[in-house]
Amino acid sequence: MPGTKRQEQKKQTRSRILEAAIEQFAKQGLTTTSTVAIAEAAHVAHGTVFAHFSTQEELLSAAIEEFGKRINQRLHELAGAGGGVREVLAAHLKGLTEHEAFYTRMITEARLLPEEARNTLIMIQSTASFHLSEAVEKEITAGSIQPLPVHLVFNGWVGLVHYYLANSDLFAPGGSVLERYGHELLQYYMTLIKAR
Amino acid sequence: MKVCIACGMPMQEKSDFPNGDTNKDYCAHCARPDGSMQSYEEKLASYTAFIVRAQGLDRQAACAAARSAMAKLPAWENVHTR
Repeated sequence: MPGTKRQEQKKQTRSRILEAAIEQFAKQGLTTTSTVAIAEAAHVAHGTVFAHFSTQEELLSAAIEEFGKRINQRLHELAGAGGGVREVLAAHLKGLTEHEAFYTRMITEARLLPEEARNTLIMIQSTASFHLSEAVEKEITAGSIQPLPVHLVFNGWVGLVHYYLANSDLFAPGGSVLERYGHELLQYYMTLIKAR
Repeated sequence: MKVCIACGMPMQEKSDFPNGDTNKDYCAHCARPDGSMQSYEEKLASYTAFIVRAQGLDRQAACAAARSAMAKLPAWENVHTR
């Protein structure tokens, strides 16, 4: 049916623009990427972008929401596999490494983003902190890590990882900061929290 | 794979479902002890409390984030929030 075919094409174009947007936002920044650059990357006319997303903000929100869904799903899959605190932190690092460029943009530009985008970031942290808190509570009971408040175990870890990500240009110019330092950060953090 | 209609959590294992009932569309964390789904107010309160406990955020900021996340989920699309 022609109508259905047209709808299908429309869906495909929207998805191509969204994919190009996620890639360009990761490369050039969430608040600084132009819709012209996104249109070029998606191989569509500039006006086509606005036929699918009425404003640049709408495109940014859609890209952040889609990214949030993907990383949440992946973090849940990786960190939900069970294991102790070390395994959950390693899974967290793996999930972040797979989405490092866009995630880094989100955390470095967080205060400049609309509230909606900041809430998506909190939801990403909810997924990670959910699995971590379960593992932390088990290990505190077992006596293998120190009896620390779960939110501080999470925030301490995220603070460390985010510091390296936010300064990736200094720690790993042109490369993945998590691939380069992830193992070292994990070793260090486990030493900090393990029971004496 | 099912995704919880009330909190968005992917449900992979039997233990992710209320009392192991894989026919349910909501997860164990969104169920009351009898297996029925929590109300909007109950879920908002438990979601907020979880964010405060696991991330240490200010309660109001946590509540706003929980509201925003719930607004995107099918279980609450017809709920008019304040």
